[in-house]
Amino acid sequence: MNKEELSDLNRREFLKGGSFATLMALLGAVELKAQDQPKAAGGATEYKTTGNPVSCAVIGCGAWGREILKNLARLPNAPVVAICDTYEAYLRRAAASAPKAEKYTDYRKVLENKEVQAVLVATPSHLHREIVIAALKAGKHVYCEAPLATTIEDARAIAHAAQAALKQNFQTGLQARSDPQRHFLLSFVRTGAMGRNVMARAQSHKKQSWRRASPTAEREQALNWRLSNATSGGLISEIGLHQIDAAAWFLNARPRSVTGFGGVLHWTDGRDVPDTVQAVFEFPGGVNLTYDCTLGNSFDADYEMYYGTDAALMIRENKAWMFKEVDSPLLGWEVYARKDSFYKETGIALVANATKLTAQGSKPTADAAAEDPPLHYALEAFIANSDAIGTGVEDFAASFNVNDTKALRAYLAGLAKNFSPFAGYKEGLAATVTAIKANEAILTKQKVAFKDEWFTL
Amino acid sequence: MKKYPWLFIRNVVFASLLLMAGALWAADWVKYEALPTGSSVKIDGTSTIHDWTVEGKLIRGSMEFEEGVDIDPSQKTIHGLKGGKLNAQVEVSILVRSLKSGKSSMDSVMQQAMKQKEYPTIEYRVKEMVLKEPHTPGTPFVFDTKGELTVAGVARTNLMQVAIERVDKDKLKTTGSTTVKMTDFGIQPPAPKIALGAIKTGDDVKITFEWLTALPAKPADASQK
Repeated sequence: MNKEELSDLNRREFLKGGSFATLMALLGAVELKAQDQPKAAGGATEYKTTGNPVSCAVIGCGAWGREILKNLARLPNAPVVAICDTYEAYLRRAAASAPKAEKYTDYRKVLENKEVQAVLVATPSHLHREIVIAALKAGKHVYCEAPLATTIEDARAIAHAAQAALKQNFQTGLQARSDPQRHFLLSFVRTGAMGRNVMARAQSHKKQSWRRASPTAEREQALNWRLSNATSGGLISEIGLHQIDAAAWFLNARPRSVTGFGGVLHWTDGRDVPDTVQAVFEFPGGVNLTYDCTLGNSFDADYEMYYGTDAALMIRENKAWMFKEVDSPLLGWEVYARKDSFYKETGIALVANATKLTAQGSKPTADAAAEDPPLHYALEAFIANSDAIGTGVEDFAASFNVNDTKALRAYLAGLAKNFSPFAGYKEGLAATVTAIKANEAILTKQKVAFKDEWFTL
Repeated sequence: MKKYPWLFIRNVVFASLLLMAGALWAADWVKYEALPTGSSVKIDGTSTIHDWTVEGKLIRGSMEFEEGVDIDPSQKTIHGLKGGKLNAQVEVSILVRSLKSGKSSMDSVMQQAMKQKEYPTIEYRVKEMVLKEPHTPGTPFVFDTKGELTVAGVARTNLMQVAIERVDKDKLKTTGSTTVKMTDFGIQPPAPKIALGAIKTGDDVKITFEWLTALPAKPADASQK
């Protein structure tokens, strides 16, 4: 049946003698109309909006390595092609989150794999150096977990190698630096909404041995590297570092000195790494950060506090509250913000985009904060930035002499302005050195003054 | 060869003439080559929600002038024009992927709209350069140029005013801008779907560039990094 015949049909005729062919033709006509519709609405097209995929390898598949794998699996552009661990049982467990990845027990074989573009290193901290430097030498982008190392020398060697690897991306696993909620709070602190900063405090409390169960004595030692001063940076490096780095970032300064205390008070199982530590970091302008971390009591868990003359800010995981002074100026929006009660205080919830949510009539709930963990954002940034640097180098090489290091550096520096926020080697070095020296202060129960030369490359 | 000695001699003479001509041509044309830093190209467009810009820093190519063409350092005069025309060969090429909006999702939309995988570069080839008179001494020389602009594999004649400025002893800065329609190059103005509907970009885009070229560095300079 042709179109002309179809248009001649009136409804009655159709209903009277409607054949299957007529019906199909009519359906066809309807379908054409449906196809026209989007064009009338502006010709909207679905575009792929994620960047190019970057093939990843995860070296070190312990608890945190597997956490990294789980988060990578949620990214559309981060195929994991290799996983590596010297312990086969970990490798098998890790494969659950990366079923397509090839399994390796020797990291050098991973680096030989041409398919691998980026390497994420989540081995024990004291084993980072060799792997990270070899990976950079092999031309891979590197995500190195924090702390970078357990000695100043190792940390500096890694930072130097990262600085020299102009054509590759290097990110330190200080994931809070990529977290949008933290960036929202950062602008809140920096704009002076809290008045003048007078002090800061952070804590991480839990009741937990920190000892991992293992099948053999040999494995027990390798697995519990955190519990020996020979291989561990202690609680302040492995746990405190993230919170101390966040404080330095928010206060926009590097601490000048640290005084420490600590001891094995509860877990007297032969370990020499203190299970309870306290430290005071002196910042410029008389602002001090007091920090305490224990494995002996879990009260109030993890949080950070910033005290300003107009308000105090409490950050707890991905949530935050402001506690105002009675004599502080009215900001306006806080009248409408959600309030939560703490002991005798009322906290005004600080949620990124809360004002927009109010405007749209949907109130932020207690769970309205960023839903993804900071690690998700950190890995998202790592993949996007690795792609940007990788393609940037390719584009430059296609246009000019890629050995013109000065020009290439300038070009990549221009691209970096658009990078997703991340902690690079400088931030990684600063946080690592601060933590290592704080651990030294804790073990010797002394004050350590920071020297500039530890931080500068 | 013995049978036709004249042919051999003729060939030799012909070849040497060709060689000489080649040598002369190479010696006489002055070639300014693109510098890896200091250049920029910007494309400005509109959309139903806000204006947009993409910017690139890599403009490769070269600008060659015929023998005798010389821009005097004080920019008073330009020697070697023929009937107001500058005999030049200008070729410019820009990688589509090097154009950045600051948002990677928008970059990928642009790359898909411009069929970047098939046509990775935007090319421009100048066909004619006519000096715009009168020239004000000390200011950049302005030319009306006619060239061929190739975007997404489609070539179109393009008229553009460009200014050439001598910024250094051996450096030239060329600036210009032109407005083109995406549809002229077979590009459907992107209308990406977002959460709350569709954004539609306008057909007209303005291309603005600033291009630094220089005489090739002497070997001593090239070793400096």
